Amino acid sequence: MNPILTKLGKMAFFLVFTSFSVSLLAQQVPISGTVSDQAGNPLPGVNIVVEGDNVGTITEVDGKFSLAVPSTDAILVFTYIGYQTQRIPVANQSTLAVVMEESIFELEDLVVVGYGVQKKGDVTGTISSVDGEDIQNLPVPGSSQALQGRVAGVQVVRNGGAPGERGRIRIRGTGTINNADPLVVIDGFPTSAETMDDINPNDIESIEVLKDASASAIYGTRAANGVIIITTKKGELNQGMKFRVNAYTGISDAVKTVDVLDAPTLAALKREAYTNSGRDIPEIWEDPQFQVQRTDWQDELLDQGITQNLDISLRGGSKTSSYAISAAYYNEEGMIKNSFFERFSFRINSDHQAGERLKIGENLQLTRTNGNFLNTRSAQTGVYWSSIRFHPGLPVIDENGNYGTSQVSGEFGDINNPIFTVDTEDDQTTATRLLASVYGELEIAKGLKFRANFGVDGTITDRDEFLIIIDDQIRARDQNELNRRYTEEYSLLAEYFLTYNQLFGDKHVLNLVAGYTTQQFQHEFVATQRRDFPNESPDQRFLDAGNTITDSEGNRTEDGLVSVFARANYSYANRYLLTATFRADGSSRFAEGNRWGYFPAFSAGWRVSEERFWNIPFISNLKFTVGWGQLGNQDVARNQFLALIGSGRRYSFGGEEAIGAAQSRIPNEDITWETSEILDIGAEVSLWDNRVLANINYFIKDTEDMLLPVPVVGSIGRALVPDRNIGELRNQGLEIELGYKNTIGEFSYHVSANAAFIENEARSLNAPFLESPRYGRPNQEIARTLEGHPIAVFWGWRAEGIYQNEAEIANDPGIANDPRRENGLIQPGDVRFQDLDGNGIINDQDRTVIGDPHPDVTYGLQASASYKGFDLTLFFMGEAGKDIYNADRMQGLDASYPFNLYEDVTGRWNGEGTSNSIPRLTVDRNNLNHRTSDLFIENGGFMRLKNLTVGYTLPGQYSSRVGISRARFYVTGQNIFTITDYSGIDPELGYITQENNLQLGVDYAQYPQARTWIFGLTLDF
Amino acid sequence: MRKLVVLLSMFAVGLNIGCREDLLESTPYGLSTSADFWRNGEDVVAAVNAIYEPLRDHDFYGHSEHTFSIVEDDQWRAGDHSEDQSIEELTYDPSNPQLAAGWRSKYEMISRANAVLVNAPGVEMDEDLRNRSLGEAHFLRGFSYWRLHVIYGGTPIILEEDVLAGNFNKPKASIDEMRSQIESDLLRAIELLPVNHGASEAGRVHRGTAYGLLTKLYVYQERWQDAIDSGEEVINGPYPLAPSFLDNFRIETENNPEMLFSVQALDVFASTAHRIYTTPRPWGGWDFHAPTQELVDEFEPADPRLDASLFLPGEMVDLGGDAGMQEYTTDLSQTGYHFQKFASWRTSGGLDGGQNVPILRSADVYLLVAEAKIRSGQNGDTELNAVRARVGLDPKTNATMEDIIHERRVELAGENQRYFDLLRWDKANIVDIVALLAEDRGNFNPPITFDRNKHYYFAIPQREIDVSNGILEQNDGFL
Repeated sequence: MNPILTKLGKMAFFLVFTSFSVSLLAQQVPISGTVSDQAGNPLPGVNIVVEGDNVGTITEVDGKFSLAVPSTDAILVFTYIGYQTQRIPVANQSTLAVVMEESIFELEDLVVVGYGVQKKGDVTGTISSVDGEDIQNLPVPGSSQALQGRVAGVQVVRNGGAPGERGRIRIRGTGTINNADPLVVIDGFPTSAETMDDINPNDIESIEVLKDASASAIYGTRAANGVIIITTKKGELNQGMKFRVNAYTGISDAVKTVDVLDAPTLAALKREAYTNSGRDIPEIWEDPQFQVQRTDWQDELLDQGITQNLDISLRGGSKTSSYAISAAYYNEEGMIKNSFFERFSFRINSDHQAGERLKIGENLQLTRTNGNFLNTRSAQTGVYWSSIRFHPGLPVIDENGNYGTSQVSGEFGDINNPIFTVDTEDDQTTATRLLASVYGELEIAKGLKFRANFGVDGTITDRDEFLIIIDDQIRARDQNELNRRYTEEYSLLAEYFLTYNQLFGDKHVLNLVAGYTTQQFQHEFVATQRRDFPNESPDQRFLDAGNTITDSEGNRTEDGLVSVFARANYSYANRYLLTATFRADGSSRFAEGNRWGYFPAFSAGWRVSEERFWNIPFISNLKFTVGWGQLGNQDVARNQFLALIGSGRRYSFGGEEAIGAAQSRIPNEDITWETSEILDIGAEVSLWDNRVLANINYFIKDTEDMLLPVPVVGSIGRALVPDRNIGELRNQGLEIELGYKNTIGEFSYHVSANAAFIENEARSLNAPFLESPRYGRPNQEIARTLEGHPIAVFWGWRAEGIYQNEAEIANDPGIANDPRRENGLIQPGDVRFQDLDGNGIINDQDRTVIGDPHPDVTYGLQASASYKGFDLTLFFMGEAGKDIYNADRMQGLDASYPFNLYEDVTGRWNGEGTSNSIPRLTVDRNNLNHRTSDLFIENGGFMRLKNLTVGYTLPGQYSSRVGISRARFYVTGQNIFTITDYSGIDPELGYITQENNLQLGVDYAQYPQARTWIFGLTLDF
Repeated sequence: MRKLVVLLSMFAVGLNIGCREDLLESTPYGLSTSADFWRNGEDVVAAVNAIYEPLRDHDFYGHSEHTFSIVEDDQWRAGDHSEDQSIEELTYDPSNPQLAAGWRSKYEMISRANAVLVNAPGVEMDEDLRNRSLGEAHFLRGFSYWRLHVIYGGTPIILEEDVLAGNFNKPKASIDEMRSQIESDLLRAIELLPVNHGASEAGRVHRGTAYGLLTKLYVYQERWQDAIDSGEEVINGPYPLAPSFLDNFRIETENNPEMLFSVQALDVFASTAHRIYTTPRPWGGWDFHAPTQELVDEFEPADPRLDASLFLPGEMVDLGGDAGMQEYTTDLSQTGYHFQKFASWRTSGGLDGGQNVPILRSADVYLLVAEAKIRSGQNGDTELNAVRARVGLDPKTNATMEDIIHERRVELAGENQRYFDLLRWDKANIVDIVALLAEDRGNFNPPITFDRNKHYYFAIPQREIDVSNGILEQNDGFL
């Protein structure tokens, strides 16, 4: 074991152990009473302390409390999360009936910022907060999905609904073509966005999204794509132990499937296609045994999924120590057979006042996830893609007990039986992660604190994949194979910083933070492969059982980051607010001389409503802010400044193995981080005693020195050509967040809405274009990134309907000089493409930008209401003004592929006037009717009822009889309905590759998102 | 006191993590950089081995190189790559993905050869080994340009000085420039390469390989005497025809002296996909490149090469393992036939990945010399009859070009020669490719419109045109 890990582990254990020491309280003047909410329900667990003293208690299950105060002058402070704090003088009362009012939006609320907290009213940067309460008990594996639609300017781009699939988070647009994920800081520990879903959402207290430069510059060279700060729940001091159980279980089903042809229709239409092409019809299409409808492959593949979650938590605190311990199990069985994801998680947070001046504490998170990830992104082997295309006349299992196979004929395509694929798939990945940190905070003098944080984030990932021999499917494998890949990743963090808060006179407030931090990253893997396992039974799927060692590899990478940072906040009379931030980062990712980056940011705020002249009473708060700053992105491929030689090039001579070595990368010594510059203007307004809150921000975010993979001429060979810092990208947009909260008698409700209008533009590429991944085996180009356009626009031809007759072909000036027309290769029923360059030939010069996958607007709307014990929450989210390239339908209408077709082809052109959008069937590709064109671009806008929750909380008097202080039952639905024009399965489509953002919104028949219903309960003891 | 211990231990750990001065130094663990390569002869041999590796690519001899031959009358494309239809029928667009396949593999070979030519002269190593290595690099570079030139015509020529200058985006060379580059590389290879290699090095190119390809170049250039001189170096060298035609296509004997150049394949470790493409689907293959009835009819009645080259209905084939002996039946193929030259099965079952892909055989050179003699007014009987005698066929006397055309067709069936032979013979008015391809002989030899202003070369891949920013120009007729 890593020695540092051992040390940290011991320390964490020690800290946890000490957190259980509970102190006893002294008592003098007795006082008792009840605490209830506005509806009269008793509130258990309300925190009560004597002001200026550490004496306190909490209310019982029935809302009752009793304690002794030092004297009748004492003032009792009642606090409860979600309610306004009350201060009540004891005077001569011996019993109190306290009614807690729900808090509205609190300007005094604290917001977590980098290396500290700030009062919401004082913030001059752009920060959005999500209350942990809003994302509790949703049927999602993690908080990234839960974040979807909740914050203006934060888009969670999902690429399918596979179990455990996390969305890709984009803050203020896609900031770079490279890794554009935000930095995620979990309880002060900077980590990667991929790992944020390791946290059980029910453990999250709040999520802060730092959107502008002023807020995020303190994280320097990792902040260019925004920062997400996740704070997990802690215990509270002077709080009795609270025990909570959350449990839910539910089912998920497919919302929609693709309508495809049945076997007789497929055969008939294939015959038509051959006839249209003037070719003999292959016998297989006349063979009656393949004209019997046998299998609906999508139906066979899609099953009912199950989602379950169980977690328990213990939270509380003594006078000096507080703790929060939780354990959780989440399990999702997807609706595609044999797809699953599960997660165990365990957390201990504790804080201790170790004396008057010293505070220490720790956060410990242990997670184990296990899942398989079926291939659902390939237009050659994807399982859902295959289920749409596999021949409907073939059986799942034939009369001999074998899986149905397309080996019978090349006419049935190179697809394996998708049920065979999911039944025999054996590819699991297990990840075990420890994220632990300890801190100590020493108050050196009044207002001056020194804090040190140390942490470790270690993950062990183990992928175990067994590939069986396949001899009766077309994509055969003649040897079985076991692949084991084992990865260890560590990140070690050390931070030291000083904070200084001081009030000068009565109007000048100064807050300073300055510190030094280092973070070290280590990544090491070994991978090994054996083949030739004589026995494929599960108990033989271990390396020792394989007869041939075919591969073995291993490597290590290390990164280091050394940084200093400082921030100053100054406010004058609560009216004028200034923030200045600076960070310097040294990164080992770059060659000496290009290592250090400097990131300044400034912002200012004016709280107009605090001015003496302000006399608009219904506007309780009005603040304007402006900010500017620079941020960096160092998350680019390592070692690009080195010329690498790749060994292991395999060949043989005379039947003996020979190993070759060749240059695998050409170096770029000048490589450095990408810089983003953000200008942000905002206004924040609260109306009618803060019942209405509105935030409006406008921003311009320019990414400079963007690293581009310039498309290289093939004559360079295959060596990787390094990226160069030559691109410029701009995102600009408007973000609006609105909230309204009100209570009428026992009925209270809350509505919040957000929307973002963001434009993305590649301003400079220094290259004709950037390439994107190609579609399917024919390597069809669908998207390009071009100067003056958003990244990843769709690139192809413009279609103008279908030639209805010979005369239209003869008279079309667009093909007047086209040899295809002269040779009779363009026929009625073929697509008419636009001859953009006017040369009378349809060729590659006629391609243009035909669509934009980025939404013009993304929005979310949440409404919740409660009446007596009932609560209701509705959450809608949507996108508008985006295009989808429905590549799956494009291929599904093309009879030249040896696959089953979309049912839409029954509406094909088959005679004058029969169709102007679906071309004739042909097995030829002479006119390339199904080339990339706007014929297959669809409006991808949608609005989705993402969540609906109806809950009921049992009146306290019933639940308390069985020792339960609060019992809530609820039903939650996810993806309940979607309003969209999109004809495919799901309009939420994401990025095709993990490596870059150069293709988006292309339908590959990804894993569809399910509709999920769960039933759950939350019990507090 | 306890607090102090906690605090101090935290700092101890913190300092341990935090104050690492070397934190910003990046170590390329397990990676080799060009700074520590090229140390000795072993490095040079590794670099030379790597030049051969792209030959195995799916996009090169693994499959795609053969797709350029589907236009010919000997084979139907078969398979399920729908984009192949427009290649076979010459109606493709420059963006057809098959055109781009192999472009990069060939230039990767060129790049690796250039790396050896730039670096090997400065390495301290055995002089014979250096010569052999440089010779291999010259040959393989010349060979890559050869394949580029027969497919696309002129393409960019990237040489040592271009690599050093980082100059890769170049306009295409003329056909003559291509050929003179190929010739000069082959002549250098002949000077540097040994006559032969020991059995453990079988598969490395040698002097005979270079003379063989040079012969073919000269025949394409119609430099008859040069072709004859060069070809006779092969015929009179230690590269005799294998005793049996079939020896060239059976794993045990595929590295015999006749096989001047082939893609070396080793089961599991380094195989190629070619064997899978040419075999029937139910036998584990992908059913591409089906021989046509026209090819079958071309064989003389007594020619054993028909049976050796193709699976014929009624033939029993041992698929090994559980499948065992199977009868080849017509319903396994749409044309009724498959090539059997390119595949065999392990005794334990499954296609054997040790099957090499033939590229150049002495028999080909014999026929080229015979052709050069006939076309320069000499008698080519000796070389032609040597090839015929091996398979027990009667000798020809005063053989004509018609005999050569026939013999090349049956001897080299499926070996990626005929289409390119037809192109050069059409240019020399020996065959009429337009009429030949225009004939409608059913589904598997549909009428194809061959345009002499356009189709002697394939189109340059559209991607390369797009990224060259105007420097690389498309071939005539494809604009």
